[in-house]
Amino acid sequence: MSERLTPAGRIEIDGRIFNPYSKDFIRNPDPSWQVLLRDYPIAWHKDLQMWLISSHELCDRLLKDTRFSPYFGHWEHAPPPKAEADKNDFDRAYERGFFAVTNREHLRLRKLTMPAFSRPVMGRIDAKIRDLVVGCFDEIGDADSFDAYTALAAKIPVRAIARMVGVPTDMEAFFHQFAVDIIKCTRINIGPKEREAAMRATLPGFEYFKTVIAERRALPHPGDDFIGNLVGAVENGERLDDYEILSVIFALITAGSDTATDLHTYLLHALLSHPDQLALLRQQPELMENAIIECLRWGSFGKMPFFRFAVADTEFAGQLIRKGQGIGVNISAAWHDPAKWPDPTRLDITRRLDGNIVFGSGAHFCIGTYLVRVQGSLMLNEFMRRYPDATLADGTGDIDYEYTHHNARRINRLIVRTHLRQRQPRAA
Amino acid sequence: MDKWICVICGYIYDPAKGIPGAVAPGTAFADLPEDWVCPECGSPKDSFEPYTE
Repeated sequence: MSERLTPAGRIEIDGRIFNPYSKDFIRNPDPSWQVLLRDYPIAWHKDLQMWLISSHELCDRLLKDTRFSPYFGHWEHAPPPKAEADKNDFDRAYERGFFAVTNREHLRLRKLTMPAFSRPVMGRIDAKIRDLVVGCFDEIGDADSFDAYTALAAKIPVRAIARMVGVPTDMEAFFHQFAVDIIKCTRINIGPKEREAAMRATLPGFEYFKTVIAERRALPHPGDDFIGNLVGAVENGERLDDYEILSVIFALITAGSDTATDLHTYLLHALLSHPDQLALLRQQPELMENAIIECLRWGSFGKMPFFRFAVADTEFAGQLIRKGQGIGVNISAAWHDPAKWPDPTRLDITRRLDGNIVFGSGAHFCIGTYLVRVQGSLMLNEFMRRYPDATLADGTGDIDYEYTHHNARRINRLIVRTHLRQRQPRAA
Repeated sequence: MDKWICVICGYIYDPAKGIPGAVAPGTAFADLPEDWVCPECGSPKDSFEPYTE
């Protein structure tokens, strides 16, 4: 048996129902998701030691429910609070950041930072990062084939975010590792020693950005770029302090660098494995934004869910969630919920996506949502322009995954055939 | 009529355009129902602020 009702009526499952670490799941997750969606839309996962919420309706509802916090400090197994004198820069930035502050403070932070992330501002980012995207394609040139992971996905997001934040090109690797370590600091699916090591590894990154902020504050005008906007932001006479600015930078880079890596591979995988949809996008480029969201929904690259923590004993969907218990909000499964998405494994770039939770939902909705769309469209437009006959090598792209990735079903090999060399002689 | 921005997700409500299939063009933000939510992120109406470009 993989499920049982406890005397309290708690529905329980284990790794035999849902094992996000298994290679079979990483290669083909939909069968597991469909079991969860059909039989266990909410259940306590005994092996992961957290609740797992999988249906679209429950994920959407839980993400909007303020009784569940994204703050790691609410977790029953979180390390004890540190004395003020023992806190490091990570601790201080995290405590001042979007996930940790009260609802009122969160709204204030969003008000101060949203202008830097709004659609019009992100539209202008297009011009700032276009050359980075073009540069990655220039490096591919007219090769007969290339690996979309190493040539595009591993380069574009981190370079784009580094450009936005103003990190020098020669520090990109340092910067990317900073982003990965920040994400690991509060992941409840990794052990305390690994979390602590990741936290220590973030400190040089915080030191770097503290210096940048201090330099900007010393200028008569802090500048019109991303950090300049944050340093200069004013709301009712209040400004962001250093740790609030650091918390925004760390929100941006965690959302925008490591996570966005999967954007590029999954977009190309989705469209190249559905040539009819790629052809439709070429014919109707106005579908681009819808296509990006639909490709992300279809590919559903998450491995581990979003985490939330109950701030008090709470009844939710007929189950009692105890204060401090972790909740995995399994939005990747929700993106394949047939109750919300008829024929969920069909890619349809014209699909009506109203009410989608591809970028989350509620107060902690992905702050980088428009940045993702700008970056994805730049890459796809350049790809379609250069490689009109592209296909996946051998029909599958010889796809492979980084099975040990802490968060995503990361595609780390996707071979694209350009067919340029066959095309050129014909043209000549 | 003024545009309004959702401070959570950055969605901009433009009364001149409304929302195709949901809100008629020409509907002022103030005339949207109190239980109306952001079509992008689902945040409540009080998450919006006046927006000037």
